[in-house]
Amino acid sequence: MKTITGYKCTNCGRVMFPRHERCLTCNERNFKEIEPTKKAKLLTYTEVNELPWGIDERGRVIGVVEFDNGLRAMGLVKADKIKLGMKLTSGWEEVRYQNGVHLYGLTFE
Amino acid sequence: MDMELERYLRPPEYPMAPYPAKVITLATGAKMVVRQVDRDAVPTLLEAVMPTLQVARDYYDIVGARLYAELLGWARYRVKDEFCLVGQIDGLLVGIVNSRMYSPELGISLHTLAIERGLRIGAHLFASKMEHHIEYLNQDEVLITAESPIGFRRWMIEYSLIKREGQHELGGATPYGLTRELYFANKDRLVAGERPVPPELMEVAEKEIIIATEDDILEKILGAKRRILQ
Amino acid sequence: MRPVVISGVGMVPFERRDEDSLVDMLAVASLRAMDDAGLGERPVDAVYVGNMASGLFNHQVSVASSLVDRLNLMPAAADRIENGPASGGSAIKNGLLAVASGYYDVVLVAGGEKMREVIGPRATDIVACMTHPEAEYIYGVTLPAMAGMFARLYMQKYGVTREHLADVAIKNQENGLLNPYAHIQMRITKEGILTHPQAHINNPVVADPLHLYDCCPVSDGAAAVLITTPEIAKKLKKPPITIAGFGQATDTQTLQERDDPTDLKAVTIAAQKAFAMAGIKPADIDVAELHDAFTILEIAESEHAGFFKKGEGAQAVASGATKIGGKLPINPSGGLKSRGHPVGATGTAQVVELVWQLRGEAGERQVKDAANGFSLNFGGFGNNVLAFVLRREA
Repeated sequence: MKTITGYKCTNCGRVMFPRHERCLTCNERNFKEIEPTKKAKLLTYTEVNELPWGIDERGRVIGVVEFDNGLRAMGLVKADKIKLGMKLTSGWEEVRYQNGVHLYGLTFE
Repeated sequence: MDMELERYLRPPEYPMAPYPAKVITLATGAKMVVRQVDRDAVPTLLEAVMPTLQVARDYYDIVGARLYAELLGWARYRVKDEFCLVGQIDGLLVGIVNSRMYSPELGISLHTLAIERGLRIGAHLFASKMEHHIEYLNQDEVLITAESPIGFRRWMIEYSLIKREGQHELGGATPYGLTRELYFANKDRLVAGERPVPPELMEVAEKEIIIATEDDILEKILGAKRRILQ
Repeated sequence: MRPVVISGVGMVPFERRDEDSLVDMLAVASLRAMDDAGLGERPVDAVYVGNMASGLFNHQVSVASSLVDRLNLMPAAADRIENGPASGGSAIKNGLLAVASGYYDVVLVAGGEKMREVIGPRATDIVACMTHPEAEYIYGVTLPAMAGMFARLYMQKYGVTREHLADVAIKNQENGLLNPYAHIQMRITKEGILTHPQAHINNPVVADPLHLYDCCPVSDGAAAVLITTPEIAKKLKKPPITIAGFGQATDTQTLQERDDPTDLKAVTIAAQKAFAMAGIKPADIDVAELHDAFTILEIAESEHAGFFKKGEGAQAVASGATKIGGKLPINPSGGLKSRGHPVGATGTAQVVELVWQLRGEAGERQVKDAANGFSLNFGGFGNNVLAFVLRREA
């Protein structure tokens, strides 16, 4: 999987991530799987210095973006000068190593 | 004392530049004077360290036991090129750090003991110790180890220390290095203090190292007694 | 639904309590509540224990059953209630509904958590388990990080400054000094945490824009209340305090799926329901215990609950209106910031404080003539919220 799987309601067109069994707008249960667009807008972010067990680093920047097709997701922000509303390009990298498993997720530059 | 014998038993001394005292404003607004002390302070310091030997929590016992030995050894001229800094608030001793110069270029960090907790005193004093190694003793690198997980978080991760080969002289533990580069990269964020210390504060600090009672020291380390019940 | 009152309360001081197990603390808090009520030999019909993560922190589950056993309350019904940091509030909700339904007459509710059994970063990770596994958790997001992302937007939208946040922290730590049960007993100054040129060394960034002194401590502790009917309360020791209203509401789990991430819908709805049920307005409240896990939340909740207009909560703190002697004292106990936050205990402890306040038993931190109290318990990151209105009968 090279990116997240988003869901578009076949009834009302609402896009969602993560998965819901019932549409957040109309409660219908049929969805088309969609991918996010390459580009996204940064909605908010924070630089985290106290990270959970297993992540021995400081200064990891976590943010929430809105993709051009309306999907929203959280990911690691790797840009240099970070500003709210900036346009970022999404990537897919290892974001955490836990219990012997390499976990992949969204990164944004 | 038989000074002829002592010549054989004392390690040779390297001339060490003194640490200029500074004052740090803590979160409570209190002013902590950080200054270097001489061997004559050791008997007082040992009295303050002694109670910690009973406290297993947060590894106070091993830090206290080793610090006790290092201070005693230093006072009796059996440790090479050791220095000791203390933190005092209105004369009251709130923390002790010690370290030594292995060579003109390489320092070995020994211990950090915070008697007052919750105010980052350990972090401030550790930073002061590094300041002395790098800025006043002009060393290139300091080898550090941590006996407690709190120490590991505060130093290895906070400063992004570099894992080194070999053994740290504290029990052969894995040494981590603070280089000049790392020190200056983190200085603004981690090293506090203003100089010179206002004369009234310095006078109080130098007049006497006041130590709390054993009960008070244990209470400070283990947590406040409650005013009403368990 | 019949009326419901609280007849007894008790708690243990919140702090790092290495010597006590989770169930030890729950048991002591429960006995204090039972003795406070003067329950004597009267049986307890049901026990609800609010606790978030005993399985992860303490390697023990089914702690409600353990508590019943410890206190010899068999054959009382018992359940453990989990709602993240709102477990304590949810446990009270379950207790009050149990009595209101008419099925049970005397119910013990205890909230507790023993977080210090694990090292700090592990506790951070356990708390982070509340977040969405695929969309949030894998990124190493923490609750402070969620609060940081929220704070960034909220501060920008409403002009909340770091000084406003410092005012909240300073106020709550002052209040904590008057509360023998509070974890943090330390006066902090604006100079030490904010204005001094080196204050950033005392008060480093945890998840920007939130700093160390914007975040509550990690604590161990337990609190308990005894819930019953007004008729039984008449036969017990203390004047009963009525649970006049409650409300609970949920929101999306992830921050990103909220249309406006600065809009704490669940807080607004939960508070509205509580006030509607109690038949009063926010202006009628004399004292409030809000969920200040992060200083920004005290300000945001005070607005969303209806005490101040959006954008005016910060000024209220700055003006001193929310101090103990002010127009609307918020967190006279010291709040989560100073009283501490053993996650499962907090919601119950907030109600314990309100009961003491409304009875006139709050000692040095007493709010004068408090007759109506409000508490808010914030679960997840605002996706499951409970609100209570308590009333002293004339």
